[in-house]
Amino acid sequence: MARMSMAHNLHSYWQALPLTLVLLAFLVFPIAVIGIVSFWDYNSYSLIPDFMLDNYQYLLSSPVTLQAYLNTFKYAALTWFFTLSIGFTVAYFLAFHLRSTRTQTLCFVICTVPFFTSNIIRMISWIPLLGRNGLVNSTLQASGLTEQPLSFLLYSDFAVVLAYVHLYTLFMVVPIFNSMMRIDRNLVEAAVDAGASGFQIIRDIIVPLSRSGIIVGSIFVFTLVMGDFVTVKIMGGGIKANVGMMIYNEISLLQYPAAAASAIVLLATVMIMLVILFRLVDIRKEL
Amino acid sequence: MNKRPGSFYPLAAFFALFVLFLYGPTITIALLSFQGPGGGLTFPMRGASFHWFGQLFEAQAVGNFGTSLRRSLLLGLAVMICTVVFSLLAGLAFRKRFKGQSVIFYLTLTSLIIPSILISLGIGLMFDRLNLESTWYSSGFGSHLTWTLPFGLLIMFAVFNRFNPSYEMASVDLGASHWQTFRYILLPLLAPSLMGIGLFGFTLSYDEFARTLMTSGSFNTLPLELFAMTTNVTSPVLYALGTLTTAISLSVIALTLLALRVFRRKSVRESEA
Amino acid sequence: MNDNDTPDNTEDTTVKSKGLNRRKLLKGAAGVGVAAVSSGAITGFPMIWAQNIKNVTLRQFGTGVSNLNAIADKCKEDLGFNLQLTSLDSDSVTQRAVTQPNSYDIADIEYWICKKVFPSGAMQPLDVRRLRNYDKISSLFINGKLTEDADIAQGTAPHTVGFVPDRNATTFADQPTDWMTLIPTIYNADTLGIRPDLVGRPITSWADIMDPAFRGQTSIINIPSIGIMDAAMICEAMGEITYADKGNMTRGEIDQTIEILKAAKRDGQFRAFWKTFDESVNLMASGEVMIQSMWSPAVAAVRSQGVPCVYQPLQEGYRAWGGGLGLASHLSGLELDAAYEYIDWYLSGWVGAYLNRQGYYSAAPETSRAYMSEDEWGYWMQGREAQGDILSPSGDVMERAGAVRDGGSFEERMGSVACWNSVMDENQYMVRKWNEFIVS
Repeated sequence: MARMSMAHNLHSYWQALPLTLVLLAFLVFPIAVIGIVSFWDYNSYSLIPDFMLDNYQYLLSSPVTLQAYLNTFKYAALTWFFTLSIGFTVAYFLAFHLRSTRTQTLCFVICTVPFFTSNIIRMISWIPLLGRNGLVNSTLQASGLTEQPLSFLLYSDFAVVLAYVHLYTLFMVVPIFNSMMRIDRNLVEAAVDAGASGFQIIRDIIVPLSRSGIIVGSIFVFTLVMGDFVTVKIMGGGIKANVGMMIYNEISLLQYPAAAASAIVLLATVMIMLVILFRLVDIRKEL
Repeated sequence: MNKRPGSFYPLAAFFALFVLFLYGPTITIALLSFQGPGGGLTFPMRGASFHWFGQLFEAQAVGNFGTSLRRSLLLGLAVMICTVVFSLLAGLAFRKRFKGQSVIFYLTLTSLIIPSILISLGIGLMFDRLNLESTWYSSGFGSHLTWTLPFGLLIMFAVFNRFNPSYEMASVDLGASHWQTFRYILLPLLAPSLMGIGLFGFTLSYDEFARTLMTSGSFNTLPLELFAMTTNVTSPVLYALGTLTTAISLSVIALTLLALRVFRRKSVRESEA
Repeated sequence: MNDNDTPDNTEDTTVKSKGLNRRKLLKGAAGVGVAAVSSGAITGFPMIWAQNIKNVTLRQFGTGVSNLNAIADKCKEDLGFNLQLTSLDSDSVTQRAVTQPNSYDIADIEYWICKKVFPSGAMQPLDVRRLRNYDKISSLFINGKLTEDADIAQGTAPHTVGFVPDRNATTFADQPTDWMTLIPTIYNADTLGIRPDLVGRPITSWADIMDPAFRGQTSIINIPSIGIMDAAMICEAMGEITYADKGNMTRGEIDQTIEILKAAKRDGQFRAFWKTFDESVNLMASGEVMIQSMWSPAVAAVRSQGVPCVYQPLQEGYRAWGGGLGLASHLSGLELDAAYEYIDWYLSGWVGAYLNRQGYYSAAPETSRAYMSEDEWGYWMQGREAQGDILSPSGDVMERAGAVRDGGSFEERMGSVACWNSVMDENQYMVRKWNEFIVS
């Protein structure tokens, strides 16, 4: 066995090479470029190599930045809360109430089908659903529940979070389901025999044992929300903004160095949060 | 079979609601794609017709589905092949310890969770600074790989975590070469997972928007073309396209599942024989 | 003439992945044939190289407004070469024009974009002596005046960035020269669009968009260079600010304007901001907003869905925009000749009529008249009542007989332009402030 692993060891280097090269060329290098450009000067049509801190100074002193980050964290927190509640419940149902692997697979397939419509098209279809004259409002009005159309349904924080929950709940369901499937069913049986209530079982056995799945799911949801701009752009009607929108705006206005500085700050924020989260879980073991 | 617990029904209802929520936009799209010829992108429906599906195959006033679709398919295929090969190799590498292992692993994770717009901006700027022309098959291809490879590698990890190495050992003990072991033992065992990675890679690439935004050069991939078209097209032809692509992807998945099943039956029969 | 056959083998209008190779070959071919080619172009009889030019493909990019497949088809039919179109939103257009000058041959951009792009050296000016239709171009683009005694509107008026002193200049000339930055193609006068069935009262001023009665049902455009001009029209109409020059605001004026916008946003005056054509159409058609800044074909699109919508002329006048075709600096040889041929053709009437029928104006109005019926010309250009149904270029009925165009005739509309879309001296500052408003 020792002899074999020695031989494999050497193989490992060339086997990992393609991945490493791709990551170097299209991840490490571009980020380095962003880092460098964030110190550059610019005018309305070109970048001027320089070393200045103005981009960061403006970014870190502007009240808009703070506002954008607050908005982003608000979206992240709300989305995390809802995806976790819904995701946990769904995963629990799939893992403990469905008996055969076949039904479980079927349910997963059913859940993934909507994701095969182009994201862009799916987004704009929320408008006829949630708009002032949309399906939801006309149903509510027809049933006499409301008199005026509800305008908070679209182009609002509500709409943004709703779209996030719609997009990302599955990212929560899958890892939690994965952890739940590894829980020894005998533990649950033993708890039932010992007279534990359903709630106690969930609180004292299932939640602690699916902790790592919850963390992995949270990492996904958190990072996806932090980096998003398309959802906010479409569902927020251009009125709402988060950090991604701020960067996107700067890019579209050709202010690359400013965008680069914002990007570096965002990257740092996300990385700090992730370092904390990764301390709680060994992701390789959880797969 | 013991009786279902009382909690089954409320939970099942909850799940049904969740599915309904997931399908909300899909249903809206499907309904609106049958909008009458005078209708718009929003309710109310103005009659019902197949008008917009017909329009799909005619020349559009702005934009072009056909060529961008072909670009996206080609790109998806290339990304798929590279993802499968690179992930398989990297997966094999990671079965043993080697220097720099954890660095590569964390880079892969970074690549997965880094905000997409950063990749787009970074690669776009890099090509610009290096005076290279960015095109969908160079910079766009690279940016897609940063998105699909992490998924591929993570799936490989998941597979190898559950993998029983005794088959390989047996093969080595019987005097098979590394290549033979790989070709006749490992590859057939991994084939379904590799198909999964391929499917994943293709779909992720096919629908990728944010990372392609600044890396596709002069010609748009399908999602970019759609995005550009939503800025000019105000007819339900977009929804018709949505409905059609969903139907097509559904049939592709169904076929893949079917193929896997046949594949499995066959291998079961073979192992029994 | 072996060289001229080479491109034939590789010519392919749709397989873009071959683009690079094909272009290299083309250049080689053009180099050999260049003497014959340029002599042909100067005498105005391009037929000498008509065989050769069939293999040319020009890549044009721009906003969807004028990047129409119908134009590419007609170009192929009339001129024989291929036109490849890519459409993007106006931000991306600016971005690509500057950062990827090799990715296009012809840029279809607006004049305010030109003010940003041209100084970067990504484009080359056009020699007007090579254009047969140059003298047909409206004087609006030459000296800024529609008629002899007209006033010049504020902002980045096309003539101010329309010329450069010589072939290699990157700064704009004060008066007409032989070198034009963009050949004007399309322009219009913009105003507010309203839903007459919902607003419930006559709308006469830009200030009406800030009426508390419309709280939560208004929208403005979120493209800084355009939005700030709408905002300026609004603030001036409200009597809050008097600008020395709306098209070139001081920092103080920018601050004041943005403060008023921010306050309105805080109070929930706006339902959404739109950036693209479709968004404005959908906002209006779905009833999300009842009054907003809008583009004229968007109004037509709303109406074509059976929803009443009016492009309301306002007492303060219009905000105008104009666009044109410019050449990438890398163009040379045969492709350059083809580009000149194409642009000249663009001005020769067919495209102009096509654009007129969509509610825009053609830069060479007289040439397009020949391609329109008397009734069409009367409705679109002279503000007369339509005698029969007015059809869109694709043949759908746009207006029934008896309809009159909102705002009246060409002279009435383009004659009451108060300002043009602009890039100011304080552009950088303005954009920052605008961003703050959007994020606030």
